[in-house]
Amino acid sequence: MLTGWTDFDEPFRALDLLQRRLDRVFDGLPDPAGGERLRLRARPAWPATNVLETPEAFVVKAEVPGLAEGDVTVSVEEDALVLRGERKADVPEGYRVHLRERAPVAFTRTLPLPGRIDADAVSATLIHGVLTVTLPKAREALPRQIAVKAV
Amino acid sequence: MSDVTATVPHANGTAHAKAYRRRSAAPPVDVFENADELLLVADVPGVGPDGIDLRIDNDTLALVARRPGAPAPALVREYDEVDFAATFRIPAGIDAAAISAETRNGTLVVRLPKAASARARKILVRPRSGD
Repeated sequence: MLTGWTDFDEPFRALDLLQRRLDRVFDGLPDPAGGERLRLRARPAWPATNVLETPEAFVVKAEVPGLAEGDVTVSVEEDALVLRGERKADVPEGYRVHLRERAPVAFTRTLPLPGRIDADAVSATLIHGVLTVTLPKAREALPRQIAVKAV
Repeated sequence: MSDVTATVPHANGTAHAKAYRRRSAAPPVDVFENADELLLVADVPGVGPDGIDLRIDNDTLALVARRPGAPAPALVREYDEVDFAATFRIPAGIDAAAISAETRNGTLVVRLPKAASARARKILVRPRSGD
């Protein structure tokens, strides 16, 4: 019998509890390799990346706040765009920490190329912590107009 | 994510508030302290010095960082090009007039110097003549 709104909460609370217990179980699993404990919770890939398309090129944008020019390398390998780098976010010398939400991170992100591109013409810029990689489309991948001749 | 108007108080009316009515998110923030200052570092990728709006109202520091341009349609989207907004309470003992800020590679660095009276001081003990 329903006695109040709390009855609706009950199954959700149970699910929430289950989720938390599972998290705890997975957190506690020993690593078979003998290293640190396994962490099975998914973490979003860093840096977050958007892929845009223009008529002539694909444009990959990655949010890399705090990175300067020398901190990131961009390469085209096989059929992937590879971003490598490191964001150092060390505690400044002599300071005490009150709040820490910006994690230091070393990363390698391999992004499948969204189409055929001209690897020699790839360019990249880094402005205000956003890396923009422009991948011009291969000439044979550009749309072509075929002239129709009357015979 | 929230509407900026919900988090940032606007002193001067609705026209001002309307300009802010874009989606926003709280940026990740580090806060450090040493003997002389509080140091706040926020990730605001895509925003240069022109896009930063920092306001101090009594003991509140309100930050709005606006990205230039409109979001374009994307083939793959892992992040939304939202603005950033956050408010912080300034603790006692900060010299509000001396707060300074700069942007550095998509991060915002705000320095909040402590007022001279709030700094830890070492009292010099001198022997009295004759001791």
